[in-house]
Amino acid sequence: MRGALAAAAILAGAALALGQSAPKPKPGASGAAPPAAAPAARIGCVTCHLALDDARVSPPAKLFADDIHAKSGFTCANCHGGDPTTEDMDAAHDAKKGFRGKPKTADVPALCGNCHADAALIKKYNPSQRVDQLSEYKTSGHGKALAKGDATVATCISCHGAHGILPVKDSRAPVFPTRIAQTCNRCHGDAKLMADHKLPSDVYAKYAKSVHFEALTKKGDLSSPTCNSCHGNHGAAPPQVASVANVCGTCHTIFADQFKQSPHAKAFADMGLPGCVTCHENHEIVHPTDAFLSTGKDGKCSACHDAGTEGARAAAAMYRDITALKTATEKARAALEREAEAGMLVAKPQFELSKAEEDLTKARADVHLFRPYEVQQTVAGGLTIATTAKAQAAQLARERGFRRKGLGLSLVLIGLSIAALVAKIRTLGPGEKP
Amino acid sequence: MSSAAPDRGPLGAALAWVQDRIGWEGIAHLAEKKQVPIHRYTIYYYLGGMALFLFLVQVATGILLLLYYRPSASEAFESVQYIMAEVPFGWLIRSIHSWGANIFVGVIVAHMLSVFFLRAYRAPREMTWITGALLLFLALGFGFSGYLLPWNTLAFFATKVGTDVPAQLPGLGPLLSRILRGGSDVTGATLSRFYGIHVAILPAITTVLLGAHVVLVQQKGMSVPLSVESKKYRTMKFVPDFLLRDAVGWLVAVGLLAALAAFFPWELGVKADPFSPAPAGIRPEWYFLSMFQGLKYLPAEIAGVPGEMVGVLFFGLVGAVLVLVPLLDRRASRGLPSPWWNRLAVLALIGALVLTILALRPPPGAAP
Repeated sequence: MRGALAAAAILAGAALALGQSAPKPKPGASGAAPPAAAPAARIGCVTCHLALDDARVSPPAKLFADDIHAKSGFTCANCHGGDPTTEDMDAAHDAKKGFRGKPKTADVPALCGNCHADAALIKKYNPSQRVDQLSEYKTSGHGKALAKGDATVATCISCHGAHGILPVKDSRAPVFPTRIAQTCNRCHGDAKLMADHKLPSDVYAKYAKSVHFEALTKKGDLSSPTCNSCHGNHGAAPPQVASVANVCGTCHTIFADQFKQSPHAKAFADMGLPGCVTCHENHEIVHPTDAFLSTGKDGKCSACHDAGTEGARAAAAMYRDITALKTATEKARAALEREAEAGMLVAKPQFELSKAEEDLTKARADVHLFRPYEVQQTVAGGLTIATTAKAQAAQLARERGFRRKGLGLSLVLIGLSIAALVAKIRTLGPGEKP
Repeated sequence: MSSAAPDRGPLGAALAWVQDRIGWEGIAHLAEKKQVPIHRYTIYYYLGGMALFLFLVQVATGILLLLYYRPSASEAFESVQYIMAEVPFGWLIRSIHSWGANIFVGVIVAHMLSVFFLRAYRAPREMTWITGALLLFLALGFGFSGYLLPWNTLAFFATKVGTDVPAQLPGLGPLLSRILRGGSDVTGATLSRFYGIHVAILPAITTVLLGAHVVLVQQKGMSVPLSVESKKYRTMKFVPDFLLRDAVGWLVAVGLLAALAAFFPWELGVKADPFSPAPAGIRPEWYFLSMFQGLKYLPAEIAGVPGEMVGVLFFGLVGAVLVLVPLLDRRASRGLPSPWWNRLAVLALIGALVLTILALRPPPGAAP
């Protein structure tokens, strides 16, 4: 009997693997059995599938133990159908009892949507859980391609997994912020697959060099963007030229606002150039430096503005002003640190100087207005502060000199006093005899 | 009756008038009569005068600091910052006060060791020693309470550790800790208390004990070591011979303090933030380091008693023995050498030194 059961289970597993008897699930028909049925159901599917120790059918059963759905009381039958209450393989896998086996790729989004697009059902488990994933997916590049019959594109299970699905906030989950890029790269790093879709396959390699990747993975800043932050997750699609500034502006609000006010906004739109990424790249977004404004190898402006043109002169003016403030603050900071090392109290001038450093940051932001006058105004305020801080450092150095001269004079007076005392003591004699 | 001659002029007459009313003949006579023995250990006699001088420096600089210092959690740090940066010569006064406090403790420890090893505490000077030992504890109290007053991070967390120590005492320990802190934790209330302790309570007690100590020294005269006692030795007058030599030392001390203040102004650090985590490597002033480190090495329990409690009781016992040495060292009181006390003291000194060095090592992972 046990052998027959095993053989039957293997056949059922093969059926699952081949995706046989998997009718398109009907939204709302389900699927979503009440969790109260869970204990008996689990005995039916998992008990046999684990006992078989078959590489095709037992891993899903093992993985499902840690699945968020299993923990919420859902069972295999909620997705695969069938009768989990019987140990008879044929009865358990009977198509008449709704058994659909392994869903086809094209059926996966709708199958998941059975529950995840059902607001009334989802509310029972997590009232704040969104229910628009399916409709978003349909607007995505993946969803559109799938609708056209391309089964190589990602569906829900490509990112979330099929049986060991973990909550998004679980750091082991493939959709946890620090792991999303690697998850996307499973397909987007596949050169052949991407070539078929006329997409680049070096996106992850470029992203791994970016400031965003560094902040996310090395500094642990989970708010730092990864793939889905710019492309969307369920509705993943590349931002269009006109919307790039808006996408970056969701985090970089000041820069985005400044860019919109700048003369570049219209010029870029007219030329069909995307906003931010024209200078900063899209995936390989490295630390911006002041040299972006220079005419050197790192210069960005010279790519469009030839030498001698108004644009080149504007870039040169902004570069000159920002460099001047940077140099002034660095020199003032170094002078104050020298005084601090010499024991002088520099907390107050250092605090004042930090305002000049804030001005430097602001001037660098003002570059996105692409109006040299704005940068110059900010730089002028910072330069005044930095000059004052440097003067304070010089004053402290003079004070230090004064202290040491005063000490020298005091020591001379003390020395003379000691000499006078010693001279007096010598006149006193050797003391009285006993 | 006036002792001034009629022909001494207006100044002489004024002095005579004052002398008639307060009568300093006794003091003048004592000073004139007092003799200081001259022998190979005479130099150690200067340590007492040096300690007294440094104490007076602390009093003078402390009073000047009081003019600007504000004892509240919101203003203490800023007021010290103001003293260091804005008040004319404020940096000098504060640096001398801070450096002076450390040198003062060092000098009285040296003074006490010299008195101990020369057995100057033997009869009839037991009370001189006991008042001196209590003055050492008061000096440590001045150091501990003064350390918190700038309200910087290091002082704040060191005080948290320090005020935890009395809480280990059985019985009233936790209450004592609460009284010291003015609550369950170190807060602005602790600062107010430490300020009161530093500028009123300790000075009042010190004035009484120091007065008693100095009077006893004058009454009993300078002790002569056992090894010298049986020999013949010269003496010098306290005034002016010894006092002038004392003055040379005091001038050297003034020069040293001024040089330290000019080249190494006492650091202020960063304002205390009670909500920030304790920084790595917090430790108390150098004279508490051996106790601080010793408590670290104790196991959680010793014979069923909390290890820290055992440690605190042990240090309390050491303190009590220190105060009562003249009564415990019966051989010295009979004028006989007491080598076992020397061995015990050397052992304690080596232990304290080793623990202090261990405490001064940088914490693991710190930059060299």
